Amino acid sequence: MNGDSNKSRPTRGITAIFQAKLVLMVMINLAQLWILAATIEAALARHYKELAPLVVASGVCWLISLSIIFWWKPLRRR
Amino acid sequence: MSSKNLSKTIEKVLSDEREVRAATAPYQAEFPYERDDEAQVTRREFCGFLAVTSTALFLSAAGFAGKAAYDSTKIEAFPPLKIEGAKDLEIGSALNFRYPTEMDTAILIRAANGNFYAFGQKCTHLSCPVYYAKESDRIECPCHEAGFDVKTGNVLYGPPPRPLDRIAIEMQNGEVWAMGRIAGGHES
Repeated sequence: MNGDSNKSRPTRGITAIFQAKLVLMVMINLAQLWILAATIEAALARHYKELAPLVVASGVCWLISLSIIFWWKPLRRR
Repeated sequence: MSSKNLSKTIEKVLSDEREVRAATAPYQAEFPYERDDEAQVTRREFCGFLAVTSTALFLSAAGFAGKAAYDSTKIEAFPPLKIEGAKDLEIGSALNFRYPTEMDTAILIRAANGNFYAFGQKCTHLSCPVYYAKESDRIECPCHEAGFDVKTGNVLYGPPPRPLDRIAIEMQNGEVWAMGRIAGGHES
């Protein structure tokens, strides 16, 4: 291996972390889509008791996605 | 493959990504493009886009729930309406009417047992108009082959997620009157 490839190793690690974050975000978005569909169905059917848990679930998903974006940072190699 | 070639191949695979993905194929000379242009959206940017989508989905769910909760506090007033032509409706036939507004189509059915049943005409799947199938004595949706019970409006088969909206009817002096509209699947 040459010197350039050694330099690129940490970049590849960060790419893997961003790939993992991306996959998690996609899964959370899919879950939120499902929750939104269930919320609309519950609202149209006048099932008001189901609305609050669905909104809370969507909010939890949103907080998780925010935490993934703002707090999950890769550690810097010393 | 010799060990020299093998190590060369491994080194090439493990080397920098840009080097591996160099545009060297003959057809790429005919359609030249910049690698930087191809990678316009990075993973980081796409993550940001998904975060915005997540926010939008959360706000949509909260908005829908809030609107529904607000609507539930208002008492809906349904004016009584005489359904014209219901008196002469034969057993095993149906007629359409509009209730409570001109925008809300409904269907009145005189089932095989002689009783009247009325429902909103919009299928709860994708709002296609439902019709009364005399031969099977049930309500059917032609769009996605759904079936509803003629007495209760419950889903018998097909994709609809909830029963049809029910129209409360009353018999007064031999005439059929619509008295209210109850959303399909409403428990109370």
